[in-house]
Amino acid sequence: MTEKQKKELILSVRNVSKRFTSKNVCVRAVTNVSFDVHKGETIGIVGESGCGKTTLGRCIVRAIEASEGEVVYKTLAGQEVDFLKVDKKQMKGIRKEIQMIFQDPYSSLDPRMTVLDIIAEPIVANYPKMPKAEREQLVKDIAAKVGLNTTYLMRYPHAFSGGQRQRIGIARALILKPQLIVCDEAVSALDVSIQAQIINLLRDLQREMDLTYIFISHDLSVVEHISDKVGVMYLGRMVEFGETEKLFASPKHPYTEALLSAVPVADPDVQMERIPLQGEIPNPANPPSGCYFHARCRYCEHRCTVEAPELHEVDGRMVACHRAKELHLRGFDYSQASEA
Amino acid sequence: MTMQEKKALRAQQRAEKQRKKEESYYLASQWTLMARKLGRHHLARVSLVILAILYLSALFADFIAPSNLTAYNSKAQSLPPTQIHLFHEGEFIGPFVYESAWETKKMSVKEMQAAKKAAQEAGIPFSTKQIVTDTTTPHKLRLFVEGPAYKWLGLIESNIHLFGTESGVGVYLYGTDTMGRDLFSRLLLGSQVSLTIPFAGTAISFVLGILLGSISGYFGGKIDNVIQRVIEVLNSLPSLPLWMALSAAIPPNIPPVQMYLMITVILSLIGWTGLARVVRGKFMSLKNEDFVVAARLAGVSDMKIILKHLVPGFMSYLIVSLTMGIPGMIIGETSMSFLGLGIQAPATSWGVLLKEAQSVTNIAQNPWCLIPLIYVVIAVLAFNFLGDGMRDAADPYK
Amino acid sequence: MEMNNQPIIQVKNLCVDIKTDEGTLTPVRGVDFEIRPGETLGLVGESGCGKSLTSKAILAINQKKCVSSGEILFRDDKEDTVDILTLDPRGKQIRDIRGRQISMIFQEPMVAFSPMYTIGNQINECTRLHITKDKKESKRITLEMMKKVGIANAEKRYDQYPHEFSGGMLQRALIAMALVCKPRLLIADEPTTALDVTIQAQILELMKELQKELGMAILFITHDLGTVAKMCDRVAVMYLGKIVETGTAREIYKNPQHPYTRGLMGSVHKIGTLKADRLFSIEGTVPLALNLGPGCGFYDRCLDRIEGVCDKADPALTCLGGEHCVACHKCRKEGV
Repeated sequence: MTEKQKKELILSVRNVSKRFTSKNVCVRAVTNVSFDVHKGETIGIVGESGCGKTTLGRCIVRAIEASEGEVVYKTLAGQEVDFLKVDKKQMKGIRKEIQMIFQDPYSSLDPRMTVLDIIAEPIVANYPKMPKAEREQLVKDIAAKVGLNTTYLMRYPHAFSGGQRQRIGIARALILKPQLIVCDEAVSALDVSIQAQIINLLRDLQREMDLTYIFISHDLSVVEHISDKVGVMYLGRMVEFGETEKLFASPKHPYTEALLSAVPVADPDVQMERIPLQGEIPNPANPPSGCYFHARCRYCEHRCTVEAPELHEVDGRMVACHRAKELHLRGFDYSQASEA
Repeated sequence: MTMQEKKALRAQQRAEKQRKKEESYYLASQWTLMARKLGRHHLARVSLVILAILYLSALFADFIAPSNLTAYNSKAQSLPPTQIHLFHEGEFIGPFVYESAWETKKMSVKEMQAAKKAAQEAGIPFSTKQIVTDTTTPHKLRLFVEGPAYKWLGLIESNIHLFGTESGVGVYLYGTDTMGRDLFSRLLLGSQVSLTIPFAGTAISFVLGILLGSISGYFGGKIDNVIQRVIEVLNSLPSLPLWMALSAAIPPNIPPVQMYLMITVILSLIGWTGLARVVRGKFMSLKNEDFVVAARLAGVSDMKIILKHLVPGFMSYLIVSLTMGIPGMIIGETSMSFLGLGIQAPATSWGVLLKEAQSVTNIAQNPWCLIPLIYVVIAVLAFNFLGDGMRDAADPYK
Repeated sequence: MEMNNQPIIQVKNLCVDIKTDEGTLTPVRGVDFEIRPGETLGLVGESGCGKSLTSKAILAINQKKCVSSGEILFRDDKEDTVDILTLDPRGKQIRDIRGRQISMIFQEPMVAFSPMYTIGNQINECTRLHITKDKKESKRITLEMMKKVGIANAEKRYDQYPHEFSGGMLQRALIAMALVCKPRLLIADEPTTALDVTIQAQILELMKELQKELGMAILFITHDLGTVAKMCDRVAVMYLGKIVETGTAREIYKNPQHPYTRGLMGSVHKIGTLKADRLFSIEGTVPLALNLGPGCGFYDRCLDRIEGVCDKADPALTCLGGEHCVACHKCRKEGV
């Protein structure tokens, strides 16, 4: 615990919001999300489709521009900047420190370029004067590191399977030696056995290159395995954020509880009683009043229907629920499961 | 044992072959993959051969055609295709032709009246002229004979033609027109115009289409809206009156080369709209592909992203839609010239030649004047089939 | 009673070949299994293992270039056994079986409905085709089914179009359509893969409830080991067109024998357990089912392979006792 507190804060997401407006309809995809990322950590962001986790990830890397908020980033040089407001000139230096790994290993590689060119592209863009031989050596080194056969670098992406393509994508993200990587559903499109390969690879690379991950996924078991801390999102808001094991063992937010109870466990003996959720996820263009979750929550009070809860600290964890302190919610029983 | 060894060896060879095939597939770029897929499309392959023949003969038209644009023979008007014989008086002497010409029949008044009556009953116009073929002297066909002088591509002066007779007797493979000009020669020389106008035209469409399409797709918003509305207005104009109006703007009596350019411009001004739409659509879908986002995150500049990722991305689709657009241009030129709005005599094109087929009596009497139509149909079909094959090949990863 | 425990469907040595320019692909290479009434068999495997082609072969809806061989013996409602593979894929007999006696739920509920017709209309089509021609009666049956799958406000929903439904609701409607004729066998091809976890849990529970009520057999196809553990009585693990291990869910999860099954089990982090530092992973990738050698399909990736045995002959499925069968030379050796 104390060791973790010593770790350097490298990214602080503060009140980031993103609105999409089209034809007079304003959809709040992300609302007031804040959390901190320390060096060497893996932060998992989970939530169901449409909860805004992908939008949040893309805002952090500035693949899309956030509407409000700031992302305070501490560069490798030790300088603190608001990454969302960095101008073009400054960006050149910082851009390479925050990279992204994509979900779809098919659409994330240009089919018209050889693997060598794909991995080398960031180098060409950032160090245009680097001699070709040195560049190719860099590519070969990184390719070997992610487990690609370096004799195949002249091939085109269509020669590779999904797992190998994902390795190519990882190599491209790593070649500039970034500090922070946002993995947007990086293993969701892969088969189970390949998923395990890529997760192990990400973990090895993290130790070797001192990387920090923001790992966005809908798959709770993958997130539990890989993350140190987890943020749970619902309808564009962060409802709970805290250390993985604590959050999974004793959730503080009713939505987290319901989510965990719905996960199918790969063990026929463990059958959790599911906590039913009433209704469906509301339309983000027309969210309910008060707490966004109140209509589906079984612990709902009058206060929840009028007043939106802010993310506040409860027992060393951030929760956005009025009743977080009084509720005793059910999570996974680690003591029992570890015996089995 | 030996059988087994042999079997094993064969299996090994097969595996090796398979591996090599796979390897070449893995190393193949997009264009090689496309070419391979196109090669497997039978109709496209045949079309490609046909088009190659058509274009090669247009390129060497001056040389292949035995005659030129201006030469005519007043005794050889509306002659049917000349027959090529091999045996003269029962003796093989190689390919040769007999000379045919119109001559006035010598006949008495009575005979003439009888002939008139017979013609009336048969429903054909009466004429004292008839085609007389002189079967006494064979005119041997020779390769590389001298004929009317020409300047090949405006560069090399020559008077050597691929075939002809030494005596200068005309060989009319497709017959002659009403003025006694060789149809085969005119067809070849006309294809120079008819087959190249689409290319010149699409070149202009290409530039306009890519430029306006990518502006539309990249910037979006108001600019996109304006360009799209312009395209819609252009598409809604009926093409025939538009052609007429535009050709009325062309001053008469200008040299054929200028005329040619004007027609290309007219055709391409209408033809770019479809292309711009294709470019815009492709641009918009590619803009949001993950690999484009990845390039942006890697710090690649916008211009480079457009040139390296976006343009190559839709180039294959563009070429397909160009191929599909060419038949329209061929038909466009043919129709314009057919209506007398395009190329003027003595210069010629397939459309000008088809003007001869405007009257029904002419078609009835000289059916060979429809031969240019066959060429138009074949060229249009070939381009359509080729475009079909290319469309299938355009996305080699599917 | 004895009658009832006879399998509804028996698949024997099912093979599917696809002719391509490069040669003949063999995505399904001799699959055997049977399902009894009221039972759920989970067919588990990674993409490309042939599980979807197997299910489509049962309904005879594979594309024309796919050639199926073997036997698929289906016991129909008249207790007659028919071999589906011998039927004309467009004939009357198969059309009577398809939809009424065997029905299917697809992965993507969004594309399974036509956007041009109302949901009620499309479910009703099934009812009218197979149960009753009477308009009022068929609408009543349809509405009843829609209520049963948990579509609230069924009368109103009946006249709505697919785009007015959410993904979870659409999957419910799809289930209603599949079950309205009370089929004897339901094939569910990745029915919850496209859905969120909370919705997925609802749908799985719904399927279980309806199975209890209607007593149908379910062939549950998925790559997700979590849903299989929750849903299935028996599990068959497929790899490269063959079933490599089959047994009750507990046997497969607690005591996996085949190296591939063990690898697969090790590849998923079991949620709610203390984390292992690394996940177990199977190295390499699934080979293409083209020009396969004589040996075991898993040979190249297997950690326990025996050279000279496993690369020479493909192991047959042998029983270890009870329901548990495995196709592995090594397991057989140790078992004996």
